[in-house]
Amino acid sequence: MRLHSLTLRDFRGVKDRTVQLPAMGTTVVVGDNEVGKSSLVEAFALVFELPDDSKSKRIADIQPVGHDVGPEVTVELTLGGRELTYTKRWLKNRSTELSVIEPDGRRQTWTGREAHNEAERLFNENVDPVLWQTLMVSQGQSLILPTPADAEPLISAVTAESGTPVDGASMPLVSAVEHEYLRYWTPRGRSTGEFAKSAQAVASAELRSAQASKAMEEVVADIRRAERLALDLDDLSARLKDHLVSVEELRERKQATDEILLRRDSVRARAETARARLENHTRTRLDRERLLADVERFSQTATELAELRTEADTVAKKAAETVHAAEAALAEVVELKDDRRTDVQRAEQWVSELMDRAELDRLTGQQAELADVRARIAAASAVLDGIKVTDELAASLEDARAHVVEARAALAAGVPEVLVRRVGADVVSLSGTGLDAGGSPVPAELAEDAEVSVLVSGELVVGVPGQVEVTVRAGGEAATLRARVDESVRREKDLLKRAGVRNLAAARELLRKRDTASAELQEARRTERSLTAGGDPGERIALLCARLGITSSDEAAAEEDVPTAKNKQPIIEDVPGQMSLFEEFEEDTFDFELVLPEPAVPGDLAGAQRALENARAELAAAERLLTDAEFAAAQARKAADEDRSEAQNARARAELATERLAAAVAELEAARAVLADEGVEAEESTATAEVEAVLEELTAVQEQADAAGADEVAGELADSLAVAQRLQGERDTLRDSLRTTEGRLEQSGRDGLATRQDAAELELAAVRAEHDNLKRRADAARRVYETLGRHRAEAQTKYSEPLQTRIEALGRSVYGPSFRVWLDDDLAVAERELDGSRLRVESLSTGAQEQLAIITRLAISHLVSTGEGSVPVIFDDALGWSDKARLRDMGALLGRAGDHGQIIILTCMPERYEYVPRANFIKLQ
Amino acid sequence: MDESITFLHSSDWQLGMMRRFLGPDGQARWGQARLDAVVRIGEVARRTGARFVVVAGDVFEHNQVERQTILRACEALKRIEVPVVLLPGNHDALEPGSLWTSAQWTAHKPEHVTVLTGTEPLEIVPGVEIVGAPWRSRRPVSDPAAPGYAELGPAPAGTRRILLAHGQLTSLSGGMSEVPTIDQAALEAAVADQRLHYVGLGDRHSTTEVTERIWFSGTQEVTAPEETHPGNVLAVTFTADDIAVEPVQVGAWHMVEHHVELYDEGSLIALEDWFAELPDKERTYVRLAADGSLPLPLLSRLDAMVDAQGEVFASVERWAKFWTVRPAPDAADLDSLQLSGPARAAMEELRQALAAGDEEAGAALTLMHRLARDAG
Repeated sequence: MRLHSLTLRDFRGVKDRTVQLPAMGTTVVVGDNEVGKSSLVEAFALVFELPDDSKSKRIADIQPVGHDVGPEVTVELTLGGRELTYTKRWLKNRSTELSVIEPDGRRQTWTGREAHNEAERLFNENVDPVLWQTLMVSQGQSLILPTPADAEPLISAVTAESGTPVDGASMPLVSAVEHEYLRYWTPRGRSTGEFAKSAQAVASAELRSAQASKAMEEVVADIRRAERLALDLDDLSARLKDHLVSVEELRERKQATDEILLRRDSVRARAETARARLENHTRTRLDRERLLADVERFSQTATELAELRTEADTVAKKAAETVHAAEAALAEVVELKDDRRTDVQRAEQWVSELMDRAELDRLTGQQAELADVRARIAAASAVLDGIKVTDELAASLEDARAHVVEARAALAAGVPEVLVRRVGADVVSLSGTGLDAGGSPVPAELAEDAEVSVLVSGELVVGVPGQVEVTVRAGGEAATLRARVDESVRREKDLLKRAGVRNLAAARELLRKRDTASAELQEARRTERSLTAGGDPGERIALLCARLGITSSDEAAAEEDVPTAKNKQPIIEDVPGQMSLFEEFEEDTFDFELVLPEPAVPGDLAGAQRALENARAELAAAERLLTDAEFAAAQARKAADEDRSEAQNARARAELATERLAAAVAELEAARAVLADEGVEAEESTATAEVEAVLEELTAVQEQADAAGADEVAGELADSLAVAQRLQGERDTLRDSLRTTEGRLEQSGRDGLATRQDAAELELAAVRAEHDNLKRRADAARRVYETLGRHRAEAQTKYSEPLQTRIEALGRSVYGPSFRVWLDDDLAVAERELDGSRLRVESLSTGAQEQLAIITRLAISHLVSTGEGSVPVIFDDALGWSDKARLRDMGALLGRAGDHGQIIILTCMPERYEYVPRANFIKLQ
Repeated sequence: MDESITFLHSSDWQLGMMRRFLGPDGQARWGQARLDAVVRIGEVARRTGARFVVVAGDVFEHNQVERQTILRACEALKRIEVPVVLLPGNHDALEPGSLWTSAQWTAHKPEHVTVLTGTEPLEIVPGVEIVGAPWRSRRPVSDPAAPGYAELGPAPAGTRRILLAHGQLTSLSGGMSEVPTIDQAALEAAVADQRLHYVGLGDRHSTTEVTERIWFSGTQEVTAPEETHPGNVLAVTFTADDIAVEPVQVGAWHMVEHHVELYDEGSLIALEDWFAELPDKERTYVRLAADGSLPLPLLSRLDAMVDAQGEVFASVERWAKFWTVRPAPDAADLDSLQLSGPARAAMEELRQALAAGDEEAGAALTLMHRLARDAG
């Protein structure tokens, strides 16, 4: 099909416009928005689709708004070799006209509905709708990749070029095969649906069947067990029965032999009696023999022991004497030790006395010093007691003195001071009141050349007797001043009186004396305290004097006596023969003599202490001596005791021997009284004969018992009874086991286990048959699916090759030599490879997708261009997502595509296509 | 004894038996049919005036059948109005745990039913005594009939003695039996010297006359296609000096084994006809063996036919061991499908694989053929 021209009248916004289109090459129809580019495409579609009387809304939509006119379209085209001119007007003055010039030049025309039908028929006959839809890209659809598998012209072209016929007729089969496959298998090849369920059912049924079989096997095993138990039980019962018969036989035998055994027991009893009697007689004989022997032996023993007794007595006596001597020696040593202890005590007493006397001396000195100190205290105290001046009193005196001086000064200043000097020989008398001559008495008369200055606070009368008498009277103030002087003087006097002094200076002297006495008193008291710190020396002196037997008053005399007494004591050092006491000791002789030296009395303490140490050494030596003497005495006593004991023993044994001899003789006499010595042996012989006779009888009975097996029968019977008991036990155990097993079987019978097993196997067989059937079908379905799939894939590869080759050829002019594509079953591009990177088309950029869609369409157009079914390629706006470089390449591509067919591009952006070589641009106004 | 006496001899009821080839539904109906046949024995007893009924072993399929089976058996036995004597057989031996000693049986056993548990003669009616050799174990060690009569002397004058025994005859087993068999010669000798007057045998499911007085009654209802005369009860009549044994059918089911060779449409049609002519289809089990090869369309038709007959009959089993029908695709088959391209190539590949002996390819080819035909 080739479009030649399209004329639109009163179509949407187009009043009247004709667009002429070249039959070959690329035409770019340029127009701004709303000038009707898309209306051209729409008009072409409507003119073939809708008759002029169509009530479709699409017709109503194309009528210009507000104009009651009929939209009209005229299209001129070549279709299957025919030249068609087809005009249709809708709504107003509806009409359809078709003019066809056949290839042979014949011309035919149709009008009205016939024209529509004929045009529709011609279009449908010559234009493959799939191809038409594929190659006509409406506005906004340029991104959609074409799926042209069902386009017949494409199929023809592909088939012709690849040599592989399209297998469209097989598609229902393919679908059926796939459907069949998916009944049993998932796309990933795992069993599914009924088939998978049947496998599960088989597994479940197998499990149930196995369980049922196992239960039944246990039942069968129980049956076998019970059978075996029953057989064993029968066998055992038979054995038990036989055995009980033999037990009964043994019992009878035992009854028979019991009589022999009774007899044997009787003979045995008699034998025992005879044997006892014989033993009696034998014992009697032996006793008699022993008695005779005893008498002889005891007699000899008594004689020997009497001699021994005499000898022992002698030894004991001698030992007693030895003890006596030892004890005498011991007594002497004890006495010596007591004397030595007395010496020590005396020395200790003397040392003590000497120490007391030394202490007495010291205390006496201390007492004298104490008396002296106390005298000093008394003296100081006396001084202190005599002094009445105190610090306060002295201060008052100082104050009173100051007041007096002050009052006098005030008086002197406030009263007339009258200086009276005797210049002549005449007596000058002075009298008056309130007079003061500065502490000195106002003389009644003045001596020659004497003068006196008098303060007059009252009235002074100076007269030269007879010659003159002058009276000086003080003023009013004078009396007050005078009173103050008198008062202060009187107070001072009182204080002096209290202090016991005549004046202040005396008071000050007394204070100094008081301080001295006070210091001395304190010192003396300290000394007194230190001297009396250990108690009153007087008491201790009294104590010591009492202890020493002197009075404190004649202490001096005692002191005088002591050296005398001391001088009377002998010197105790160098005591001769101190150790010779021990050396002279001899065991056998105790008649030594003690030489006791007189103790010397030393006069001094050191000598006394040395004497004491010597006395103590002497005592220790005496004590050692005593220990030795005690030991010797003890030894002697012990020896004497032993000798005495020995003598007593000898005496006792001798007496016992005598007694025993007497007893043996008495016993022998008694025994002989019962049976004379001759009768003893005779009786024993008789008893021996009797025993032998009974034993002979016993042997005979025993032979009888042995012959009858009497002793074994009882044992055999006991063994046999034990066996019977064991067999009965075994039988009871078997019986119990059998009952238990039978009980289980009874239960399994109630449970219908065999039926269950059969049912389980029945079910298993059924599901297994079903599964086998399904498996056969599933395997067949898979085999078919896989085989067909493999062949289809191979065919697909071959079939898509022509289109694939063209797409790749066109694409490489844009993208370069690494550009490759893969097509799917619908011949749609599924994947693209560029520079080694292979991607699904969905993953490509928008621009790349659009470019690939354009390339694919151009490739399809190229493939079908040689056939009759070719159609124009129409792009209603495209390449909106390409950059400038790509626009250049795509432009070149679109230009080349025009060499093989009719390419029509509608756009409002002509610059996108400025690189299309040889493009025919048509601009719509 | 001049009076003639009739009794019924049956055996191998094997109540509780299951047949896996019948499927659950078929099994349920067939199980019921076996009980129905017992009830029909009661009807035959009434009709023939039989004085008693003997069952020579294997009354039950197992000793451990479910309770329902025992109770239903008791119900069916109640429908027999004359005394019934049952003999334990190898399936329901008087072994430990036997149902004959179970409370389930003893509590529900009808009064007129006697189980032979010993070898002592039982006078079932005056002038007729029954001796039996019950199985005491599933594994007897010697002639299982011998204990029933070996120690017996001649029957008392005027008394007919019937031996009930269960097991294969040495003469019929062909020496293949795993368990000891019954000495036929000894039996015949006992019959000959009138120690026995009739020997009622069980174990063989087909009615079989061994001698005039020694019979296998066969099972009351067929249990396998191999059985030649199943589904009968024997009406045995003692007359003055003679005996008459008459098989009476009580079974309602059929089990059929059928072998066919299939090679063309004609042979297929013949099989269809064979199916069509069989009676009592809902009570018939068919074990079908087929050999040969069929073009793909016919193979599909065969499958469809067998599947359809399976719905009509109690069960139609393709006997796997003997089911060797192979697809025989020819060019015309494939052409008729008008396949081209990959589909045709795939089918061709499968055809060649089949020709090379790939059995699975046959099934695949058949399937693909069917799918292509349905899709076309």
